Amino acid sequence: MKDIIGFWGYPRPEIIKEYKNKYPNAKWVDLDIDFNYPKANILPEAYCCIIKNIFNNAFYLKDKLIVILAPIGKDKCDSAFFAVEILRENGFNIKTSYFEEVLPLSDLPNTPICNSSLPLREKIEKVTANIIDEKNYAHLVQCKAEFGFWGVPPNDLSILEVFPDKTAVFGWSRCVEARNPGNLALEMFVEPHVPTVFFAQTFCAKNQLAKYLAAKYNGLYIDIDTRPTNSVKAKIEAFLRLR
Amino acid sequence: MKDTKYFLDAGTTWSKILAIKSSKYSNFNDDGSVKSLYDSTNKVIKSYKILPTASLACLDIEFSAATGHSAGLKNVLKYENEVVALANGAKNALLESNIVLDLGSRDIKWVKFKDGKFSDMDWNTSCASATGATIEMLLKFYNVDVNELEVQDEKYAVTCGIFGLEKIMDDVAKGFEARIAISKFINGIAFNAWNFTKNPDKLCISGGFCENKCFVDSLKKYCEVEVLGRFVLVDGLYSEYQIKHRTV
Repeated sequence: MKDIIGFWGYPRPEIIKEYKNKYPNAKWVDLDIDFNYPKANILPEAYCCIIKNIFNNAFYLKDKLIVILAPIGKDKCDSAFFAVEILRENGFNIKTSYFEEVLPLSDLPNTPICNSSLPLREKIEKVTANIIDEKNYAHLVQCKAEFGFWGVPPNDLSILEVFPDKTAVFGWSRCVEARNPGNLALEMFVEPHVPTVFFAQTFCAKNQLAKYLAAKYNGLYIDIDTRPTNSVKAKIEAFLRLR
Repeated sequence: MKDTKYFLDAGTTWSKILAIKSSKYSNFNDDGSVKSLYDSTNKVIKSYKILPTASLACLDIEFSAATGHSAGLKNVLKYENEVVALANGAKNALLESNIVLDLGSRDIKWVKFKDGKFSDMDWNTSCASATGATIEMLLKFYNVDVNELEVQDEKYAVTCGIFGLEKIMDDVAKGFEARIAISKFINGIAFNAWNFTKNPDKLCISGGFCENKCFVDSLKKYCEVEVLGRFVLVDGLYSEYQIKHRTV
């Protein structure tokens, strides 16, 4: 029985709404997340693990998937664009979307989750959960950032537990909360004087931005593949303590 | 034994121990400044020891603080981050805007100071194929004494150490002396270290490679070099310990 709607990235809100109305009882599954399902063995070993997650999840859940809502524009990445072709050839029902509208920074909605005093992991979890189940977080206590985390939601969220609560979220994660996932200007925006860790998944094109911005703002650039090693955690810890 | 405090830098291959023997642990002057560690009136005697990490388990010592990949021992009272220990240990040596680089068995890390304050850092955290353990294995494999190595103008690209090893094997197969090939590999490591630290004019170095003349001479091809020795991290542990126990 097909009862799951899969998605990745940030599908256009009107498409999410359309499918919620069409399949009110469907379970929504974020295919970006690592559920430790068996390997699909479609992609090279040395490849972005988020895209590998998409393939592993999609193939494992294939018999239950009603549709995959698949952003393929600048709001996601070229890998997702190519993935759609492979998944279609393998019999998946795909609904693509582009969410590339760019608002001026001055017109963007507030990002209360990213600026809150919640633990960093909880911030990122709320931002991603809000894609499908939108809630109002205006009530959250806001704080002055002591540190910054720039990047996408990591494959392994445990890396976020290294950071203190007063860590603001920047980069694509913040773009998602601002409902402007293709806004490059917002993605590149950080508070210049806040010590920031710039993170990208290994083999992701966003490493280009992460390394550049880390050099520009005297931050720390890190890339992590599947799971963070103790050394990577220690490196972040050292940066946070010494800065 | 209660009047002796021990500090441990437990590396992958070698461990460095600092023993501080003091009658009162009062290492501060009345105005709060740190007394010279070499001041005989201070009654503080520092002694250092290096031993194989594999032998740590046999020691019946309680360490006041420890750092390093192999420091997960029961008899360690406080574990410290390696980069923090490096920064604390090198701080006094780096009065100006300098960088300290620590290159050991399995990793390379550096901390930059500007006007006496922390400014930047990095730490290679995954591939260890172009570090000390590899050199030790190469020396054993080709039966070469470390003193036979000498600085070479040529260098192998060791951005990937595995590809660098392939170059050594190729050259040795062609009839080149193993000691020359390993020296070129070390020159590659020195060049890599200089690039990793963003091409500074001067580098202060700590870690096991301090004692590798070929490495030090190779690094001098790219920048000025000051050797701080192998005990910077344990000195950093002690320095932090002193600050936290200054009221004792």
